Amino acid sequence: MTMALDSAETVSDDRLLALYGAGDPSAARVLATRLTPLALRVAQRMLGDAAEAEDVAQEAMLRLWRAAPGWQAGTAKVSTWLYRVVVNLATDRLRRRRSVPLDAAPEPADDRPGAEAGLIETDRVRALDAALGTLPERQREAVVLRHLEGLANPEIAEIMEIGVEAVESLIARGKRGLTQALAGRRGELGYDDA
Amino acid sequence: MTMRDEDERELEGLFRAARALSPAPSGALMARVLADAEAARPRPAPDPTPVSGVAAPSWIAQLLGGWRGLGGLATAGAAGLWIGYAGLADTALMQGGLIDAEAAVTVDLMPSAEGVTLLAGAGG
Repeated sequence: MTMALDSAETVSDDRLLALYGAGDPSAARVLATRLTPLALRVAQRMLGDAAEAEDVAQEAMLRLWRAAPGWQAGTAKVSTWLYRVVVNLATDRLRRRRSVPLDAAPEPADDRPGAEAGLIETDRVRALDAALGTLPERQREAVVLRHLEGLANPEIAEIMEIGVEAVESLIARGKRGLTQALAGRRGELGYDDA
Repeated sequence: MTMRDEDERELEGLFRAARALSPAPSGALMARVLADAEAARPRPAPDPTPVSGVAAPSWIAQLLGGWRGLGGLATAGAAGLWIGYAGLADTALMQGGLIDAEAAVTVDLMPSAEGVTLLAGAGG
């Protein structure tokens, strides 16, 4: 049983996973193309380290392949399940990182003091990544899922296995933390102090 | 405590820039992911094709010692059925069919030691 690739774009993740679970190799290709970028984005924002993010994305996808034969269609969105796996794997790595000496930990994304005003877009994103790295893990997860992945709070609540109010609180505190971390870099980021 | 609108706008500008510059998976990562998918892919089960007639579950045959075991079991069952019909009412009848009860003889399965000695002596 092999699915025609030209019809793959309209097939749901759920259905693709069922096809893969029944042995269809083309379903895996479509799912990998669709979901690996999602896993990598979240891992990268959580960890701030490209190599570690790739490892987490690969491990999360491997868990998806292994979950396919027993997948209960309609119980959870595949993407929600994958977000949860990525977030948990990334959190485990962050916790392990805390237990190793600082000089063995990866370099932060970028923390140069800004001398020039108006950095290019890439540098602004690096500044945001560095600021995200200063947040407590749960606040970082909530902010990444809400503002970088664009998820609604109820889905974030499902991923983080907490209530919607707790999500709102984490996001609000996370954003205040980001503002504080970025304070003093307003000129560097292209914002004039009023 | 709420954030200033200005701070909100600035953060939103950074989020927008970050979304536009999201990392894309490298070719090497995609190759690794697809290799994992292929290795973990469940293989479709072959279609069950009954051999002929009434297909008996093969595990039952294995349990009873294979098809030879099943043949022996069937023969013994048929013999038991026949004994039940013909023999239990009149055991003498059944014996008569097989051996002559009146002319029962004793068969010496173990020749006497003397005989063995005699034979050994004759051979030497």
